[in-house]
Amino acid sequence: MSASTRRRAKVLPVGIAATAALLLSACGGGAGGAAPAEVDLGSGPAQAGTVKAGALEGVNMTFASYGGIYQDGQMAAAITPFAEESGARVLSDGPMEYAKIQAQVESNNVTWDVVDTDSNWAAGQCGKLLQKLDYSIIDKSNIPEGLASDCYVPAMQYATVMVYNTEKYSDAPTTWKDFFDTKKYPGKRAIQGNDAGAGIFEGALIADGVAPEDLYPLDIDRALAKLDTIKDSLVYWSTGAQAQQMLEAKEADMAVVWSGRAFGAVENGAPFEPAWDTGVVVMDVLAVPTNAKNPKASMALINYYLGKEQQEKLTEETSYSPVHLEAKPEVNENGRKFLITEPEIAEKVIVSDFAWWGENYADVLEKYTAWVS
Amino acid sequence: MSVSLKDPVRQAGQARRTGGAAAASGRRPLRLSPVLLLLPALALMAGVFAYPLAEAMWRSVAYPAPGPQNYQWFAADAGNWAVLGRTLWVALLSAAICLVLAYPYAYFMVISGPKLRAALMVIVLIPFWTSLMIRSFAWIILLQDNGLVNGLLAVLGLGPFELIRNTTGVLVGMVQVLLPFMVLPLYASMNNVDLRLMQASSSLGARPFVSFTRIFMPLAMPGVVSGSLLVFIQALGFYITPALLGSPAEMMISQYIYMQVNGQLQWGRGSVLGVILLVATLALLGLLALLMKKSKRAAGDEGGLL
Repeated sequence: MSASTRRRAKVLPVGIAATAALLLSACGGGAGGAAPAEVDLGSGPAQAGTVKAGALEGVNMTFASYGGIYQDGQMAAAITPFAEESGARVLSDGPMEYAKIQAQVESNNVTWDVVDTDSNWAAGQCGKLLQKLDYSIIDKSNIPEGLASDCYVPAMQYATVMVYNTEKYSDAPTTWKDFFDTKKYPGKRAIQGNDAGAGIFEGALIADGVAPEDLYPLDIDRALAKLDTIKDSLVYWSTGAQAQQMLEAKEADMAVVWSGRAFGAVENGAPFEPAWDTGVVVMDVLAVPTNAKNPKASMALINYYLGKEQQEKLTEETSYSPVHLEAKPEVNENGRKFLITEPEIAEKVIVSDFAWWGENYADVLEKYTAWVS
Repeated sequence: MSVSLKDPVRQAGQARRTGGAAAASGRRPLRLSPVLLLLPALALMAGVFAYPLAEAMWRSVAYPAPGPQNYQWFAADAGNWAVLGRTLWVALLSAAICLVLAYPYAYFMVISGPKLRAALMVIVLIPFWTSLMIRSFAWIILLQDNGLVNGLLAVLGLGPFELIRNTTGVLVGMVQVLLPFMVLPLYASMNNVDLRLMQASSSLGARPFVSFTRIFMPLAMPGVVSGSLLVFIQALGFYITPALLGSPAEMMISQYIYMQVNGQLQWGRGSVLGVILLVATLALLGLLALLMKKSKRAAGDEGGLL
């Protein structure tokens, strides 16, 4: 379409040219300059958190993530310092959306060089919309066991965890059984309604008597049947901001939310406590879309992001847990309550089966959507 | 544009118009063909409306593989029909509520003096100029379980009611956003009604109620129709308000399309939902046009008898 519009624009009056320009800019979406022929990232083994000074002078890149304090923290902790050291010009874009990645890859006009995305989705897109990572450029030696894969590295870890209103319940609900017990613990429970991820399904099965070590492969139909028993007490959130708002307004008495959002609510004075026996560890990942313009530069950015200092700063800015084994972030008391790398929390939580979720995410989402609506 | 030379009146009119324009600008008038003037708008429509629409229609039968599978998917799942039905129902309710609220308001505007009328117009337009996000968040604060409205109701010993995260919340938000689109056409149409006709009818013995319903209401009918259509059609495509004030459990079709395309990368299914919404809307409009034609004809017949 754009080609024919362009041709017409030459022969028609100014108004049309302006219209066409508007259209083109709307469709084009800032396709940066042509990729530089070669990038010299230096010699020797890669070391997380470093980049050769000035190696990416003149390179334009775009980092896409989920916005809010999370992306601000990522920019401050890793992306902006990376741009300063490497000489690359890195734009921040968002929110990351699967459909946008697909549209970019399929039209062969990939404007996002590195994306922060969901691990379940990324696992299912390896070799399709996401390309394999180059581990000669990315140093993964300090990433906790099992979190990196062919196509992604962790961006941070967090948990889906049940939190409860301490003012409402004198006898604290601390287990998944309590969450599903509306007789002993009446009140509204908020869960995510527009997407499916690790947390509530594992919880429903545990409440239904499945042992944590026998969870996977998840029996989604059984989990949904268990959720049916409390459907009248459920309200749904669609975004992290909405979840946090529900806690701060005490709209929900219990909620299964992302730990970072629970932390945000507690920092703002919401009377909620996490029940860590219900925690399921999940993560965001960094990945590179297929046909990204400058894969080497993308890899270099990811490698820099994974450094110890960067991970500490990221945690201090966002409350999400670091993915560097030696990272020792300095956080306040509330922050420590939500760090899944704290030993007393780490021993309680379950780590979700990323491989299973990667394979089954689309099916679970379809079933869950049908169940919710 | 050829003007017959044998038509002196039109010729004179033409000469006056062009002459006037030339005199005013002091230059020769631009000889742009009217069609050319339409081109920017047409190009814009082709680019941002016709092309995406054609693309969506194509995707609905071609994604991920050619065939009718996306339509079969829609037809086979009762949940899909529920979302479509809910969307049409909520749009219809929004139009009905807007009409009930806007009719007396617009009438009051027509019969009040110029100062009060200006003030009433501003009151309608202020929310119109306020960001949709701000209005939606304001409603969340007012309507949430511990919000102002439930607080007031509690003083009266009522509630608490669930006013958001459901269709009630969506309706409240949508009606507020859409009300100007009902008030303005109604006002325009009512303002054209010659109020002396009502005096005339009462001088012929009609009571106020009768002259209102038999004289004023039929004459203001075009405003009712255009306002209702504007509100109904806009309501069908609402996304932000249902996303913020509604619930995934009571989804409207725009949210559902978003989930299909963006959550599941089902462009074909998303396109099918869009196409079906379009077809359903066109069918409803066609039905309405037919009904109006019929009622006009009926009215005409009645008039003939009198």
